Amino acid sequence: MGIKIHIDSLLSDYTNNQRTAEVKGDTVSECLQHLAEQFPELIPFTKEGKLLVYQDFYLGVFVNGEIVYPKEMDKPVKNGDELSLILMVGGG
Amino acid sequence: MLTPEELERYERQILIEGFGEEGQEKLKQAKVFVAGAGGLGSPASIYLIAAGVGTMRIVDHDRVELSNLNRQVLHWDEDMGKTKIDSASDKLKRLNQNVKIEAIEETITEKNVSQLVAGFNLIVDAMDNLPTRYILNKAAIENNLPFFHGAVYGFEGRATTIIPGETACLKCLYHGVLPGEKFPVIGVTPAVIACIQATEVIKYIVGIGELLTNRLLIFDGLGMKFTEFKVKRDPDCEHCGHLITRG
Repeated sequence: MGIKIHIDSLLSDYTNNQRTAEVKGDTVSECLQHLAEQFPELIPFTKEGKLLVYQDFYLGVFVNGEIVYPKEMDKPVKNGDELSLILMVGGG
Repeated sequence: MLTPEELERYERQILIEGFGEEGQEKLKQAKVFVAGAGGLGSPASIYLIAAGVGTMRIVDHDRVELSNLNRQVLHWDEDMGKTKIDSASDKLKRLNQNVKIEAIEETITEKNVSQLVAGFNLIVDAMDNLPTRYILNKAAIENNLPFFHGAVYGFEGRATTIIPGETACLKCLYHGVLPGEKFPVIGVTPAVIACIQATEVIKYIVGIGELLTNRLLIFDGLGMKFTEFKVKRDPDCEHCGHLITRG
């Protein structure tokens, strides 16, 4: 049993329309990094090779349904955990 | 005190358990600030005025354009070129003559926001850009006003309810900037999200139900799914981090 990441439909254009993926890593940051390696089209959402979560862009990440803030990217994850990556939006 | 006309007009919602004439009276006394008369602001204000919110201040700085009409349901063909405020005010007054509508043509800025929201009980975030949402979020925190957030993109939307000092605020959740490009959207998406915002406002005013606090609701119209995520206050949040959690 690995770690699954659910991908927001707004991001699926960048992941070959895949809405879920298996990722590897001991921390949230490592899992996101592995996702970006699998889907190079996520590059618009990266900076200096790292998948951005909040700092300069507008992605949100959740582990088992709970938000993870930028300073918590080193949060450990384990097999069976489920991550979600969503696009934060501001239109009205 | 509700008039006989009001008792009849609101009869069906007064019948809701926990609502009653007391709840309707609370709505009548409420003063609601709606930021934006566009895709979100149109349905949000329509349903709040229909429900009998006593006073609404609605602020927008745009004029009605043809490309607005797929979603901004307060504005019709005949309103092209009018200010959105005039168009909105006209429709809302025709919908319910019992309520007071204050329509203000203004750009919301850091300088004027406190003055604009002064005297109101809560803020409905119906803006179309993140910088102004941040300005409103900060004003909500500083003035201890509940903040009802909604945002859309395409067939997707997000909503959450913010109680200053008690729940995660918008700045806890959003740390980045969004590109200022024209965003895709179809009218049903802001309709869904604005109705969630209006529902939250009504529940808050009447004092019933469970608010969408510390929860971010994601609406996926294409998959027709609602997903809920738990959110939490960020102690280092630049807007609300200084507040000590109450209760």
